Amino acid sequence: MLEVKNLSKAFGGIRVTRDVSFKVEPGERRVILGPNGAGKTTLFNLLVGALKPSGGDILLDNESIVGLSVSQRARRGLSRSYQKNNLFEDLTVRENLALAAASAQGKFAWMSRDSFRDKSVLETVEEVAEHVALADHLDMQVRSASYGSRRQLEVGLALATKPRVLLMDEPTSGVGPSMIDGFHRLLQGLPKELTVLIIEHDMDLAFDVADRITVLNFGEVVFEGTSGETRGNPIVREIYLGEGLEDA
Amino acid sequence: MFFQSHARTAVLLFVLIGLVLYAATGSYFAREIVVEIAILAILAISLDVAAGYGGMVSLCHGAIMGMSAYTYAILSVKFGLPTLPSAVGGIAAAAVFGTAVGWITGRTAGIFFIMATLAFGQMAYTLIFKSRWLGGDDGMGGLDRFDLSWLGINLGDSLSFAVYTVVCLGLVYLAAAWVLRSGFGRTLSGLHSNEDRLQALGVNTVIHRARALGFSGLLAGVAGILAAQHTLYISPELLFWTVSGEILIVVILGGLGTLVGPIVGAVLFVMLKHEVSEYTNHWHMVVGLVLIAAVLAGGRGIFGQIEYWAADRRRAGKEQSAEAGDA
Amino acid sequence: MDAGFWILQFLNATQFSMLLFLLSIGLTVIFGLLHFVNLAHGALYMLGAYIGISAAAWTGSFWAALVLAPIAVTLIGAVLYFTLIDRLRSAGPMNQVLVTFGLIFVFIDLVRIGWGDVALGLNAPQVLSGATDLGIVSYPTYRLFLIGLGAMVMAILWIVLSKTQIGAMIRASVENEAMAKALGINVGELFFAVFCVGCALAGLAGVAAAPVLSATTGMGISILIPTLIVVVIGGLGSLEGAIVGSFIVGFIETFSAAILPGLAAILTYVLLAAVLVLRPRGLLPARA
Repeated sequence: MLEVKNLSKAFGGIRVTRDVSFKVEPGERRVILGPNGAGKTTLFNLLVGALKPSGGDILLDNESIVGLSVSQRARRGLSRSYQKNNLFEDLTVRENLALAAASAQGKFAWMSRDSFRDKSVLETVEEVAEHVALADHLDMQVRSASYGSRRQLEVGLALATKPRVLLMDEPTSGVGPSMIDGFHRLLQGLPKELTVLIIEHDMDLAFDVADRITVLNFGEVVFEGTSGETRGNPIVREIYLGEGLEDA
Repeated sequence: MFFQSHARTAVLLFVLIGLVLYAATGSYFAREIVVEIAILAILAISLDVAAGYGGMVSLCHGAIMGMSAYTYAILSVKFGLPTLPSAVGGIAAAAVFGTAVGWITGRTAGIFFIMATLAFGQMAYTLIFKSRWLGGDDGMGGLDRFDLSWLGINLGDSLSFAVYTVVCLGLVYLAAAWVLRSGFGRTLSGLHSNEDRLQALGVNTVIHRARALGFSGLLAGVAGILAAQHTLYISPELLFWTVSGEILIVVILGGLGTLVGPIVGAVLFVMLKHEVSEYTNHWHMVVGLVLIAAVLAGGRGIFGQIEYWAADRRRAGKEQSAEAGDA
Repeated sequence: MDAGFWILQFLNATQFSMLLFLLSIGLTVIFGLLHFVNLAHGALYMLGAYIGISAAAWTGSFWAALVLAPIAVTLIGAVLYFTLIDRLRSAGPMNQVLVTFGLIFVFIDLVRIGWGDVALGLNAPQVLSGATDLGIVSYPTYRLFLIGLGAMVMAILWIVLSKTQIGAMIRASVENEAMAKALGINVGELFFAVFCVGCALAGLAGVAAAPVLSATTGMGISILIPTLIVVVIGGLGSLEGAIVGSFIVGFIETFSAAILPGLAAILTYVLLAAVLVLRPRGLLPARA
């Protein structure tokens, strides 16, 4: 489904992403795990097209997407959520979701018809609102919404484009334990055929939701395996425990 | 996000009917004022579509209007085309110029966008100002109005022409409202709110911005044709950047992003100008001070402020009834 | 077109570039540091010219005017800073454009009330009048003085910005205001100081240009566009950008007017379009 081959990125002389390769199967839940500073965000930005790689290739369904812009990749079904909320602040929840749905359905440039009254846009809005537990808050102004609702909407915007691959950048960053439970339910409620790639630094969360885990350290892939394999792996333990010991 | 409230419809109809009545019962001078208001209001609506809804604060709308007026003059005077195709050509030229500016500035934001539009407007001004073929700073004369005698209308008559410009204003408002309610207009509001996110959702924002400025240019092009037909003479002054600045002032005074506000702003601006000019020839200083005061007062403009108060009262009313329900 | 012609064009271009530099450096650093768009910068230049002319008439000395006009313009700038500009810093570019656009109108009418609508001239001092023989060509001495004045300001600013602590503070604040605050820099005072210097340079440019261009109410508006183009081409907030931009615009405008009069009017704009498409942040932006 999504394949990364020898991807590299250097800023100035500093190589932040080094020869990263992995392959995600359709419907898989993959977590890219790594401590702070492992180059996760750079990798993420390379995947979505916000950065151009210095070398290597990214394939979506065996076709290279490395030369495509952010918006072109989105139209190919690669959708992202942001670590920090990046919403349409001036609009309501409903309008946010409708914009995303209309964009993905190619109705964003209709000159004569109102995309917000289009049947299939409305259906998508309802459906996604249900998924991210915002169905009762559709007419709320985003500006005045709670942090939790905004995180939910953040995922909702990505879902409303009906993506084939969903890329999530630290989806639970900054939310409390109760929200993390909610996030687990949200993930489990997603369509089974949707491929999900999550960037995460929290180990427990990764073990919980991932089919497979790719561990990143200093820009390199140091391990890849199932949750169970990763849990018992000495390299991974060292990266995390070592970090933990230094902190203590 | 655009919506056509009953209050907006009421104010729109009130102003349009008021203008027609003022022209019908007033002197030749009153009709001139009505024409001036209608043209300025069309420009202000055009700029409100770009700036109020799309977030693109353009300082080249005077130039866009001028491109339309000059194309109209070139086609009809230099090439001898009939007035109607000349007008279509003029409006098309304005739309093309707007699209081109939108595309070139597609990756710029904020102040860079403002300065870039300022510079491109000045480019058009300079080109025409220096062109001998177009009369340079002497401008061009010998223009004609539409021949509507087949409808029994003589546009040479000052009342007919005033009514004709008010009708054009109404049509421009309808076109703008129509497009702002479409998928295109919805996306434009999203672009204003968060351009990066819209891109991540798969929208090519450069193309969308170019098309939005193209549409806005088309509306400004209508004003250009009316301006040319009004005085039957055009000069490069139409394109100078301070003209664009004045249009922005009108939008701000009336209420940015309200579509009806700019019309109210145009009425006030023209009325105020004629009143103040009776007493002093320092009209510009008065405009400057009013503008500074308007921005410092919150920048919502007159119509925008009224809508804001109304929304505030509705909200307070709702909360009160909710509290009553709780009790 | 002999060597003399080229040397004359070169000198004319250099002199125009220096004038653009004096105006654009203030504008660009105020942009970069305060995120403030001051369309009234050209109006301050106009005020510098008119005040300079009055000061020269009053004191009988060009040199006194050259000092007094920038001081007066700085005082006007300081008043603006405390009444409007500080308040509008976070108000977004549109409100800043609108208010400073309003200020242009106010200043122009104030000048019309105070000095009338006719163009006023200013005589260069005795020692700078006439022409200097440069071997192949002779060139007006006053214009040579303008080139020297610009070069001197350029050198002083370069030393201040690159070699002194206050320069380091300014550069740090342009690059990252939050970081500068965290380092204990008093950003508010720094902004005010930089704004005043920008105003002083605009006033200096005005009085210095008066003997060559004479003072008119339209001078501020007509210099504003090339100055803004310099800032956009050069990139926001950097001294290097202002220098490079000034020379590019100054030379293109002067040489194209002399060689390709048909194209002269739009060549700068074509360049601007190219920069905006290829490098939307300008050639040498302060913030990478």
